[in-house]
Amino acid sequence: MSFFMSGFFWFLEGALFCIFILAVRAWAEDRSIPMPYWKWISLIVWVFFVGFTLAFIGTSFGEGEPAAAIRGGILFGVIAIISGVGLWRLLKIGNIPGEEEFATATEE
Amino acid sequence: MKKSLRQRPKSNLLLYLFVITALVLSAWYGRTRSGPDIWPHLQKIFPEAASFSVSDGVFVVQDERGGLLGWAANGSANGYAGPLQLLVGIDSTGTVSGTSVIEHRETPVFWRMVRFPVFFSEIAGSSFEEINYRYEEVVGVTGATRSSDAIVASVRKAVARVAGEQFDVTIPLPLPPWEFGFFEIAIMVLLAGAVASLYLRRPVQKAWRWASQAFALIVVGFWENSPITLTKLTGFLAGYFPEIRANLAIYLLVVGFVLTVLLFGRSLYCSHLCPFGAIQRFINLIGGKRIRLPVWSLNLMPRMRDLIVFCAVVTALAIAQPGLAHYEPFAALFALKGGMLQWFLLLIVLLLSLVLDRPWCHYMCPMRTGERVLQDIRGTITGPKGEQHA
Repeated sequence: MSFFMSGFFWFLEGALFCIFILAVRAWAEDRSIPMPYWKWISLIVWVFFVGFTLAFIGTSFGEGEPAAAIRGGILFGVIAIISGVGLWRLLKIGNIPGEEEFATATEE
Repeated sequence: MKKSLRQRPKSNLLLYLFVITALVLSAWYGRTRSGPDIWPHLQKIFPEAASFSVSDGVFVVQDERGGLLGWAANGSANGYAGPLQLLVGIDSTGTVSGTSVIEHRETPVFWRMVRFPVFFSEIAGSSFEEINYRYEEVVGVTGATRSSDAIVASVRKAVARVAGEQFDVTIPLPLPPWEFGFFEIAIMVLLAGAVASLYLRRPVQKAWRWASQAFALIVVGFWENSPITLTKLTGFLAGYFPEIRANLAIYLLVVGFVLTVLLFGRSLYCSHLCPFGAIQRFINLIGGKRIRLPVWSLNLMPRMRDLIVFCAVVTALAIAQPGLAHYEPFAALFALKGGMLQWFLLLIVLLLSLVLDRPWCHYMCPMRTGERVLQDIRGTITGPKGEQHA
């Protein structure tokens, strides 16, 4: 059985996903960025879309369709990157300017 | 202030003379080079053919003993990028023996979409009367409508010729109906709106441009996939004008582009109707950044673009294949069709759009080259006064 078909792969993927969510939470708290439910939903949808893009590329190559992998990868990859940039800007909504610098100065 | 051709140095005038001469020579060469050999196509349709003679534009095909095998005639119609020529064979009983594509100038990626083998095998064995009813097999192939229409018209013309000359049967050749619907009206409204917005206050102008581009992205881009392409413009330069009744939208867009540059000094098609320009603007809005490129690159890139356009057009004219001038990634985005070059260009352009203002429009689009040429013509006609106004 290949690595990608094994249960260990899915265990790793789940672990990485949990770490990612915890990291986002910590990042938002450090910067005093409010994280309402719509930000979490957008973020999770985006993560799944990125996962879908990678799966599309991988399975297309696996099925012996490199042209589909390249075209689909370009199309979905571009959508993922552009929506990622948009999401990044959306996530920062509500950030209080100067809050981060203040927190760092107090710690020192 | 931009200088008109009159005010520009002589080197510019010489450059234009060189470009015009090269275009005329390549178009002349493309037009006059010898046509394809008809014999292999006749043998494809009539495998036992040994010789043929021509009578009133119809090929009379004979076997080894001089017996009549049938007749063949070629039919031609304008497709997306120029004339398409087919040979249709009819046997002595008046049924279709087969068909063969003599030459076409369609964009390869769209030509592959047309299911002509299916259509051709369907019409083989049909009588004159039946053939008129078998067109649905090929008509309206999504994304390759113009090529499909040209195939149908070519077959009809070829069959009509043989039927008229050899069987005294008249097959009607009706003109295609005028295509005037929502899309054509939308183009006219968008163009009129773009012109009207020039006389409005700046915030209203801006709001109209955003609305117009959003609409154009959906309608001209994803719905109709009909932006102006280098293939279309090269086809016009080569003298291949598609049937206006079935291609009114193309004429509206091209005439709108040319007229707005000549009248207002800038292309309102590019700023209000181009779906690819629209998507770059929207992506830049998402990216929220506009990096300023170094001056040397701003000078170099448009020249590189002009050179690429010049080489593409001259080559396409010389080999009489406007479809080969195509390098834009429009179809990759709007119809998910294109070669690797188009897909990689699409990737690069869309990602650059996050941090640059419409990189394709400024540095790669052949329409920009066309706009500059038209601006120079306008400058030459109106003189410095007109340019100051623009």
